[in-house]
Amino acid sequence: MRRTAWILLALALLLGTSPQIASAQAQWSLEGAGDITSIAVAEDGSRIAIGSHGARTYVYDKEGNKLFEAPANNVVNAVDLLADGTVLAASDDRRLYAYGPDGAKRWEADLKRQVKSMSASSDGSVVALVLQRNNDLVFVNGETGETSGSAPIGTALRFVQVSGNGERIVVASGDQFVYLLDKTGKPLGKLGAGGQIQSIVVSDEGVSAIGTKLGEVELFDAQGKLQHKLKTRDMVSAVAFSKDGKMVAVSDLSGYFYIFTIQGKKLWEYKAGDTGRAVAFDPEGKTLYAGTDDGRILPFDTGSVVAQAKSDARIRMLVWAIGSVAAIALLYVLLTAMRKKGKLGVFREIWRSKWVYLGLAPSFLLIFLFLYFPAFSGLFHSLYKWQPGGRTTFIGLDNFKRMVHDPYVTKGLGNLIILIVTGLIKSLIPPLIVAELIYHLRGKRLQYGFRTAFTASMVIPAVAGLLIWQNFYDPNLGLFNNFLELIGLGSWAHGWLGDPKTALWALIFMGFPFVGILQLLVFYAGLLAISGELIESAKIDGASLPRIIRSIHLPLLAGQFKFLIILGLIGIIQDFNGIMIVTGGGPMDSTYVPALQMYYAATKFSELGYASALGVSMFAVILVITIINMKFIKSAED
Amino acid sequence: MWIRKIPDLRQLAIVLLLAVLVFLTLVPILFMLFSSLKSNAQILGNFWGMPSPARWGNYSEAFSSIWRYIVNTVGYAVAGSVCVMLLSAVSGYLFAKKSFPGKELLFMLMLAMMMVPGILTLIPSYVLYENLGLTNTPWVIILSCAAGGQVFGTFLCRTFMAGLPSELFEAARIDGATEIRVFLQVVIPLSLPIMATLFIMQSVGVYNDYVWPLLTIQNSSLQVISVGLTIFTKQFGITDMGTQFAAYAISSVPLLLIFSFGMKYYIQGMTQGALKL
Repeated sequence: MRRTAWILLALALLLGTSPQIASAQAQWSLEGAGDITSIAVAEDGSRIAIGSHGARTYVYDKEGNKLFEAPANNVVNAVDLLADGTVLAASDDRRLYAYGPDGAKRWEADLKRQVKSMSASSDGSVVALVLQRNNDLVFVNGETGETSGSAPIGTALRFVQVSGNGERIVVASGDQFVYLLDKTGKPLGKLGAGGQIQSIVVSDEGVSAIGTKLGEVELFDAQGKLQHKLKTRDMVSAVAFSKDGKMVAVSDLSGYFYIFTIQGKKLWEYKAGDTGRAVAFDPEGKTLYAGTDDGRILPFDTGSVVAQAKSDARIRMLVWAIGSVAAIALLYVLLTAMRKKGKLGVFREIWRSKWVYLGLAPSFLLIFLFLYFPAFSGLFHSLYKWQPGGRTTFIGLDNFKRMVHDPYVTKGLGNLIILIVTGLIKSLIPPLIVAELIYHLRGKRLQYGFRTAFTASMVIPAVAGLLIWQNFYDPNLGLFNNFLELIGLGSWAHGWLGDPKTALWALIFMGFPFVGILQLLVFYAGLLAISGELIESAKIDGASLPRIIRSIHLPLLAGQFKFLIILGLIGIIQDFNGIMIVTGGGPMDSTYVPALQMYYAATKFSELGYASALGVSMFAVILVITIINMKFIKSAED
Repeated sequence: MWIRKIPDLRQLAIVLLLAVLVFLTLVPILFMLFSSLKSNAQILGNFWGMPSPARWGNYSEAFSSIWRYIVNTVGYAVAGSVCVMLLSAVSGYLFAKKSFPGKELLFMLMLAMMMVPGILTLIPSYVLYENLGLTNTPWVIILSCAAGGQVFGTFLCRTFMAGLPSELFEAARIDGATEIRVFLQVVIPLSLPIMATLFIMQSVGVYNDYVWPLLTIQNSSLQVISVGLTIFTKQFGITDMGTQFAAYAISSVPLLLIFSFGMKYYIQGMTQGALKL
C-alpha cells in the first residue's frame, strides 16, 4: 500500500521535472531563402522581418502572410524593425537598406565593407553596425543612413546588439570579449566569455546573454557579473530576450530550441530540423519565432509553456510538501515501531560512534568521489556516445559491437594472448629456478647477497628501464646488433623494433633474464616455509634432488603459483606502458593490445564512450578471472 | 648423501650460475652507467671500448634538463604518500579496534574497490578530474594517489593494528589519555613499521607512474620524471645518447636512496600485500 503511494509520488515528480513540449503552429517555408540569418519582431508584434542567406529580406504579418520581400546582392546578415515600420537590412553586399512599411526603399547606404552585424533601438535613434575587418563600432543615422559616428573598440568585432530602448549596446569581439557601451558609444565595461562567441543579446535592463561555441549561454547582470551558465546540447547559434527581459530563447546547431528563465531554469526545449539559426520573441512573450537552416520559420506557442511551467512549479512545490510530510510520517512510524521492539539502541550507538564516522569521513569522501564515481561512470558511459564537449547520446551496445569489428582490437587480442602465454612463462619459470638456486646455497650471507643483487635492478625508474631496452634494439647503436657483430653474426643484425615480424617478440624479450623481484621473493618465502623435517625424511628415504623438487617443493608451492598466475594475468591485460613507450603499437598494428587501443581511443580520437566500453570489457575479463580464482581457492580449501 | 659427495663443486656451480644471472639482470644498469660517460662519437666508433676520456659533462647537462621533473615528482610522491599514511592509519585503526554500526558494510565497500582494475577507471577518472578543473595541477597526482593508495593502506594497517594488544590502549585510557592522544602517542609509534612500508610503496609507485601523469598533466613545468624522460629523449634525439643515459642514471638516485634505507619495508609491503590480496 505504502509502496504504491511512493511510486505515484515518484512518477509525479518525474513528470513535473520534464520540460514541456510546445507544438509548433503551422510553419512558414521561405522559398529559396536558405539559412535564416536573423529574425526581428516589431515592437507591437504585428510584423516579423526575416533576413536570409539567400540575399533577401522578408516581412510577414503575424498570421504568416507575406507583406513584401526585398532583394540584396549578397547574404543578409541582420535585420531589424523599427517602431514606425521601417525595416533595416544589413548585407554582405556592403550596404545597409531601409524600407518603409509598404516595402518601398527609403534609402540605402554604401559602407564600403561587408556589414556583418547590425542592430537598432526600436525608435531608430541608435543604429549600430559592425563592418568586416574593422575595429570600430559604426553608428548611422536611422533617418538618412548617413554615418553619424563611431566608437573605437580596438579589436576585430563580430556582433553588435542594441537593447530595445537603446540605452545599452553590447559588442562581441573575435577574442571572446564582450564590450558594454551606453547609447553614445561610451564604454561601460567588458566581459570575458568562456568560449568563442556565437551570438549576443542585451535586455532593456542591461542583462546580457552570450552564446558560445562551448554549448553554453552565459548570463551576465547589468553590472557585468556572471550569473548563470545555461547548457545547450551543441554550439549556440542565436540568443534572444523576451521584451520583459525575463526569458531567454536559444537555438543551437543541432536544431534544438530552448527557453530559459533568466534565473537559469530551462522551461522548454524542442528539436526542429537539423540546425537552429535564429530566434526572436514576440513582444508579449507568447510566441517564439524560430528560424532553421532550411528556410523555415516556426512560430511556437510558448505562452502556454510558460503558463504551464508556472503552474508546474506550484504543483511541484505541493508534491514536495506532501512528499516531505509523508517521509516524516513514515520515519515516525518506523521509529515508533522500532521503539516498541526496543531497537532504538542502534541510533544511540551511531551517535556514540560519531567520532568514528568523522574519522572515516575523509577516506570515504575520497573513495566515493574518486573511485566509485569513475567506476560507475565508466560502466554507464560504455553504452553512450561520449565525447568531450559534445552531446552524450545513448547508443546501447553499439560500442561493444564496434569493438568486435575494430581491426586494432582483434589484432590486439591476438597479441594479448601471445603476451599472456609468454608473460606467464616469463614470470614463473626463471624466478622459480633462481629461488631454488638461492635456496640451495649453503651460506646465509651468500643467500642474502644474491637476493639483494637481484633486487638492485629495481633502482632504475620503470620508464628509464624501458627506454634503455628500446636503445638496446637500436639498429645502429643498439647493444644487440653490436653484440651480434662482436660474435661474428653481423648478418643477423636487424631493426628489431622496426620490423612488424619481430617487434612483438622484441617486446617480449625485454627484461631478459626475467627474474621478477616479487615472484622471486614469493617463491623464496614459500620454499623457506617448507618444513625441514619433510625434506630430511625424504632424503633419508633416498630421494634425489630432482625428485624432492618435483614431489615436495612444487606441490607445496601450488598456492604461490596460483597467486602469481592471477596477479600476472590481471597485470598483463591492463599493462600498456611498455608498448606505448617502446613501439607505440607499431610498426603498423603489430604490437597493439586492447588497453593501448583504449588509451588511443580516448586521447587521440576523443571517443570516450568507446574507450569506456573497452575498459569495461577488460574489467569483465579480469572479474571472471578473479571469480574463478576465488571459487578455485575455496574448493581447494574444502 | 648426495651433498657430501660433491659438495663444493655443486655449490660452486650454483654460485656461478647465479652470478651470470645477476650479471644479465643488471646489464641495463651497467650499460647505462657505461654509456652515460661517452659521447656519440665514442659510442659509434668504439662501442665496446671504455669511455675515454670520460665525459662527466653529460651529467651536468642532463641534470640541468631534468632536475625540475625530479623535484616535482619527489614533491608529489611525498605529499601523496603522507596523505595515504594519515588516511590509512586513521581508517585502519578505526576498523581494527572500534566497533560501530555499519562497520562490516563500510569495510566491504572499501575492499570492493581493490577488485576494480585501473583500466576501468582510467578514462572516466581523467574526465572527472578534468571537469573538476584539477588537471594540470599537482592535485591530480596527489589526490589520485591518496584516494587509490588508502584502500590498500587501510587494509594493511587494519591487519597490522589488529595484532597490537588492546590492553595497551586500555591502560592509556585508564591513565586518562583522550582518544586522540591514544592514537597519536600509542598507536602511531607502534605502527611505524607499517607506516614506513606504506610510505615507501606509495612513493615508489608515484615515482614510477607514467600513464596517469601523461594523460593529466600537459604543463611542462609540472610534469613528472617518467614522462619527463620520454620528452627528454625526443628533445635530444639521437644527437646526445650519453646525456640520455646520464639522465636515466640521475633519475635513479631518489629510488636508490629510498631503497637503500627502506628495502626491507618495501619487500615486506610487496609480499604482505601480495599474499593477502
